[in-house]
Amino acid sequence: MSTGIVSMEERNRLNNDEAALIVMSGPDALENHAFADWFRQLQFDGWESFRDLPMPARTDEAWRFASVKALDISGYTHPQSVPEAAADELRARSVGIAEVSGRMIFANDHLLQREVLSDDLRQAGVIFEPIEKAITEHAEIFREHFMTQDVVLGSQKFAALHKAWVKSGTFLYIPRNLEVRLPIEVFHWLHGSGTSTFPHTLIIAGENSKVTLIDHFESADPGAPGFSCGVNDLFLEQGAQLTYVNVQNWSREVLALQINSTVVGRDASAISMNLNLGASYARTESVSRLVGEGGRSDMLAVSVAERDQEFDQRTLQDHQRPNTASDLLYKNSLDDKARTIFAGLIRVEPNAHKTDAYQKVRNLLLSDEAEANSMPGLEILADEVRCTHGATSGQIDEEELFYMLSRGLTKQVAQKLIVFGFLNEVIGRIGNAAVEERLATLLRAKFSASV
Amino acid sequence: MSETATLNIDRSVGDFSYPEQHKFDAGTGLTRDTVNYISDVKSDPDWVRDFRLKALDVFESKPLPTHWASRDLEAIHFDKIRYYLSSGQRSSTSWDDVPDDVKRTFERLGIPEQERRFLAGVEAQFDSEAVYSNIKKAVGEQGVIFVGSTEGLKEHPEIFRKWFGKVIPTGDNKFSALNSAVFSGGSFIYVPPGVKVKHPLQAYFRINAENFGQFERTLIIADEGSELMYMEGCTAPKFNTATLHSAVVELVAMPGAKIQYVTVQNWSSNVFNLVTKRGLAHEEAEIKWIDCNIGSRLTMKYPGVVMKGRKARGEVLSIALAGDGQHQDTGAKMIHAADETTSNIISKSISVGKGRATYRGLVHVPKHLKNCKNNTECDALLINSSSRTDTYPAITVRGTGNAVQHEASVSQVSAEQIFYMMQRGLTEGQAMSLSVNGFVNDLVRQFPMEYSVELKRLIDLEMEGSVG
Amino acid sequence: MNSLIIKDLHASVAGQEIVRGLSLEVERGTVHAIMGPNGSGKSTLAKVLGGHPDYTVESGEVLMDGVNILEMEPDQRARAGMFMAFQYPMEIPGVSNANFLRAAVQARLGEGEELDATEYYARLYQKMELLEMDRKFTARSVNEGFSGGEKKRNEILQMAMLEPSYAVLDETDSGLDIDALKIVANGVNTLRGPKLGVLLITHYQRLLNYIVPDFVHVMIRGRIERSGGKELAFQLEEQGYDWIKDEVPETATA
Repeated sequence: MSTGIVSMEERNRLNNDEAALIVMSGPDALENHAFADWFRQLQFDGWESFRDLPMPARTDEAWRFASVKALDISGYTHPQSVPEAAADELRARSVGIAEVSGRMIFANDHLLQREVLSDDLRQAGVIFEPIEKAITEHAEIFREHFMTQDVVLGSQKFAALHKAWVKSGTFLYIPRNLEVRLPIEVFHWLHGSGTSTFPHTLIIAGENSKVTLIDHFESADPGAPGFSCGVNDLFLEQGAQLTYVNVQNWSREVLALQINSTVVGRDASAISMNLNLGASYARTESVSRLVGEGGRSDMLAVSVAERDQEFDQRTLQDHQRPNTASDLLYKNSLDDKARTIFAGLIRVEPNAHKTDAYQKVRNLLLSDEAEANSMPGLEILADEVRCTHGATSGQIDEEELFYMLSRGLTKQVAQKLIVFGFLNEVIGRIGNAAVEERLATLLRAKFSASV
Repeated sequence: MSETATLNIDRSVGDFSYPEQHKFDAGTGLTRDTVNYISDVKSDPDWVRDFRLKALDVFESKPLPTHWASRDLEAIHFDKIRYYLSSGQRSSTSWDDVPDDVKRTFERLGIPEQERRFLAGVEAQFDSEAVYSNIKKAVGEQGVIFVGSTEGLKEHPEIFRKWFGKVIPTGDNKFSALNSAVFSGGSFIYVPPGVKVKHPLQAYFRINAENFGQFERTLIIADEGSELMYMEGCTAPKFNTATLHSAVVELVAMPGAKIQYVTVQNWSSNVFNLVTKRGLAHEEAEIKWIDCNIGSRLTMKYPGVVMKGRKARGEVLSIALAGDGQHQDTGAKMIHAADETTSNIISKSISVGKGRATYRGLVHVPKHLKNCKNNTECDALLINSSSRTDTYPAITVRGTGNAVQHEASVSQVSAEQIFYMMQRGLTEGQAMSLSVNGFVNDLVRQFPMEYSVELKRLIDLEMEGSVG
Repeated sequence: MNSLIIKDLHASVAGQEIVRGLSLEVERGTVHAIMGPNGSGKSTLAKVLGGHPDYTVESGEVLMDGVNILEMEPDQRARAGMFMAFQYPMEIPGVSNANFLRAAVQARLGEGEELDATEYYARLYQKMELLEMDRKFTARSVNEGFSGGEKKRNEILQMAMLEPSYAVLDETDSGLDIDALKIVANGVNTLRGPKLGVLLITHYQRLLNYIVPDFVHVMIRGRIERSGGKELAFQLEEQGYDWIKDEVPETATA
């Protein structure tokens, strides 16, 4: 392991080696020179790991059923800052929740806009900065948390790639005992054709704090191909309450990998929600680690898969301490030739007694060509636990449909309403009306777009 | 002893002496010579010899499945195993060498003296020719063929060759390949159209050196509209010096046929029990596996049903009891390959001490099928704080019109329940037994009577050791 | 023209004929009650009128204001003016009552016509008051977690909002306590009028104390075997159905 910054020669060697791989032309010394040395070293290390690690194969248990062919990332280009006219347009299009505490807009990993928090929140010690600023201004706490969690669900190689390339994203720190009443909203835009992006979100919710953040992943051009490789790391200190929502609404031509980690401290409570609408292939790995007694994690996901979209979701509910709870509910609707994969594991570590862990995946198949794969798993190494999991795959209930038809709804409307209701039930568990309404609106938009 | 009296199963009429008395020894390790040697001893037809040799190549080319299965498999030393044992070698153990706990269990289960010695491996054979002949005669009159695998392939190739190795191809997995190379023993059964075999056929009635052997091969063909129940094993611990048991069992249910296959496995705790079992169910046929795993060090066994014909049904009912140091890695595979096929999996496991019970399942409903249904329920009971249970199902459903659901739960014996029973005067062990028996009760009720009685008794024994 | 006419209707489910030559005419402005013992085919009749896919019409006609509805899909029948209150209303998770009803009302508007939200909510709240329903029901998922009585009230609310020409109420009184029954009856009575024909299907006479019918019919083994005024219901209450059954030989239905 090297100890300092990699030499210029080494850098050039890396560049030349991978010249054909545009996105992988090696970290650019000049561009990142604003970053601290330790961070640059981290990026070089990430790059080396990326090169050393093998590409996933379908025979890997972590990639069972996955279309690993889709993982060809050789053609994507490095994210470039967008022209000012386009930036203005994207700012204007970054419409989410009416009332927010703070907002950042990124395009191709460059910060376009930051709507600062109220003076009150700032004075209370809330930090809401792009990570390039946090690296220098809040180096200690940032470094202590940045990509420290092991990636265990298969995407080690892509986590390394992210580490090599990440250059912006959200850093949010909420000090103890502070409640941020209104949600915080972040937009990540992918602009141009064949561009890559490495969105990053790092949230530290201090003791007994409370906050909600929504990440929106959007493409400027709904037909443009692209590649996203994102990481989010959520940390909940004792008694913290965090709601995190990720809206994946990339263009239908995007290959998206997302690695999520939530670390839940004592008596803390996390709700995380993934809404999958866009991308051609989207894989999300989500780990909840319950590291303090009394901690709780609610893991939610809604995926609307149609045409030839593939959504691959892998989860781990890792109960490391006694008296912890987790509850996972993932729902997929599948139309046309869409595929979904769910592989979830509840792991109750030895001595994590009095654990309550639930896991449920429900697939609603709407066409004869759609395919749902479910692998709900349990590994229980403690007793005095209450654990259940369930997986169902079925179609629209004929009686429900008849009931709606008997009220005069057309079959098409009735079916959509049933599917919407099926998925909306998950959204209803977020517990924040404004956020729920926003997600329901996005869901409706996807349905009406599909007519 | 009153409890042995109530058991009332007459096993003394349960056996016969198989006429093979080889004093052959294939040595240790596995080479082409070993396979040729086995073929020589068994006077295999050429096609069987070729089948074995090809299987050996497949076995050698396949890696151990440790990317998903237990790494404990690496403890198998394939070069130290004897792949063919003559009957003479089997009886090398003396009664005095049989561990006390095994003897005690025999006693508690009420196994007759003579039988104990057989089960303990002290005696290779267990003479009860009369009963086996009677059974054979009775079913023979209906046209049922009930023979050993060697005999079956040699004497009835027109019946058995068509399906042999077809339900479970040699290359299905490393251990099916191993079995295909060195198999000996096991039963070959053919039930003619429309024949409903009244009494369960039991491997028990055909006990000889091979029958409880390491690499037995069983093929059962139930022709159109016929019915059969087959039972193998028994709840008494089978003490064995060999460490690897790797059987292949293939079932073929022709249209409208019904096969029930009941297994109770209680190998001693040094045995790797790696078994491949699968059935092929044609139109409106039904295959039901009842599978009970109690012994062994590591069992890997996932009985499957391929539902090839319309309205075929598949079922797996399984109970696993993972005692201290044991790993029961069991489950089921349900492959739906026709419309209106239904499958049902109910699995209950109990982990005691450091025991580990794993459920692995596969349910597959490919596209364009209509009205297929699968229901899977897996319930695990953990007895001690160091016990472990895992559940790893994989379910693929394509298209609309099918309904598939999987549910699993993990629980433990309720402390309140135990307290309640103890307050009424039961010991903790008794209370625990009652609770555990309650947990498996709805499944055990579907077992053949003698098995369910023995199973209850066995649970009592296990639970006595688990408390305190 | 202004009537629902059922002519010699034969219908079956799973290959078994349940409705066996039933004829009946319900004029708008009238309330007809169909009573009968369990298994007489009352609920099947309701399902057939609604167009449930599991039920097959073997022969006969159902004319609604002169139009044969048997060829119509369930939603077309509904929009044409047929309403069916279910014996067991379905729960529809995740879809709020308000949105569901709104979609149903919208479905009745012409192409390009948009529902007036203010007017819609005003009307919804007014009907809810009539049925003594709390406004929180608008936000709850359709029937999900509702008590038996709440579900039945919700059915009548939908009927009130959708303003059908004919309403078939299938065992609407089942599972209701007396207070809920009164509320539901009051709702139905309020909706009575010259534009609406009602077919009340019930096992018990009790409901008819609160919704007084103009005509009472007795259905046995798939046919109407007796018709009369409301006094027939009292007679049935006192004497049961056996006396009619006895008069109708089983073969009469063949």
